[in-house]
Amino acid sequence: MQRSVIVIKRTLRAKIALIRLIGLTGLIELGGAVLLAPATGWCAEGGAGEAAGGGSWLSLFFYVINFAVFVWILVHYAGPAARKFFADRAGGIRETFARAEATYKEAQDLANRMAERMARLEAEKQQLRTDLDAETGYIANRIREMARETALRIVRDTELTGDAITEAAHRRVRAKLAETTGRLARELMVRSFSDDDQARLLRGFEEKLAQEARR
Amino acid sequence: MKGSRVAKRYARALLGLSEDHGQLEKWGAELERLARIADAPEIALRLASPEVSHEARIEAMAKIAERLDLSYPLRSLAVVVARHGRIANLTAVSESYQDQLDVLLGRARATLTFAREPKAEDTAAVVRGLEAMVHKTVIATVKVDQALLGGVVAELEGKIYDGSLATRLSEAARRLAG
Repeated sequence: MQRSVIVIKRTLRAKIALIRLIGLTGLIELGGAVLLAPATGWCAEGGAGEAAGGGSWLSLFFYVINFAVFVWILVHYAGPAARKFFADRAGGIRETFARAEATYKEAQDLANRMAERMARLEAEKQQLRTDLDAETGYIANRIREMARETALRIVRDTELTGDAITEAAHRRVRAKLAETTGRLARELMVRSFSDDDQARLLRGFEEKLAQEARR
Repeated sequence: MKGSRVAKRYARALLGLSEDHGQLEKWGAELERLARIADAPEIALRLASPEVSHEARIEAMAKIAERLDLSYPLRSLAVVVARHGRIANLTAVSESYQDQLDVLLGRARATLTFAREPKAEDTAAVVRGLEAMVHKTVIATVKVDQALLGGVVAELEGKIYDGSLATRLSEAARRLAG
């Protein structure tokens, strides 16, 4: 945008210089033409007269009068309009140039503001990126920590469950063994229990009662 | 019912009277006979029937006491119990009487359960052991239960002294099971 403003400004300046150049050159050319045209006519006519045997100063005089009338008419009638035209044109160009200057300044301000804003946005973006990185790092660490705790808990629970299952199995085996042993012992006792065994048990019971009595 | 307050009151009254007359054991035995008859199903059913009038119930108890040839205080007790509608409590009265009599005489009753039929000397030895322990005369009731496998179980004054083989085996199995 700043570049386009600069181009417009340069174009305007070039146009003003060209108009000035054309005006000055035109005036010179116009003056030269006015001065040289009668002389050219006179010279042409004089040359022809001299070639034919004589020139005419009267013709030159009429030409000068004619030219003077022409200049007067031109200056009197076309001069103000031309001056006004060129003055209006110069005013319009100056106004355009001033608007272009103002636009250029606004554009520059806008460009500066945009640059500041872009810098601010860039800083905000950097800040956001930093914050996001920090937050992401924190969340990732937290997730890793939770995963580690969960894994430890699962391991611990698994160990406890395994121990409990093992203990229950041991208990079941012991209970089964005890039941079988008790049943076998009972069957053995029923088959082979004798009066002597009964007498021995009774003696033991009497000794137990005696011990109780001594307490 | 044995420990009911009503039964204890009747038993205490009869015990006081029998102690005064020096008939503790005899009247106790008569009371036990009377209670056993009154508690017999066919008699208890008739005496409890609503078709039997109150007077007829009293008369029936008087006749039972007379037929059993009970002492006069026991006959009177039978009539009083019938009059007060406490015939169903007679067994409890008898048991309470025996309990109070045992306390009065320093006796204790034990139930001895053997695995097989015991010899007299075995029973006596166990009773001696119990007497030495509680310092009372022990009156034993002997039972047989083959489920014990061997040994004996004594129940005395609410406590159980277990010397049976079945219990030993159970304890061994329990220890083995952990």
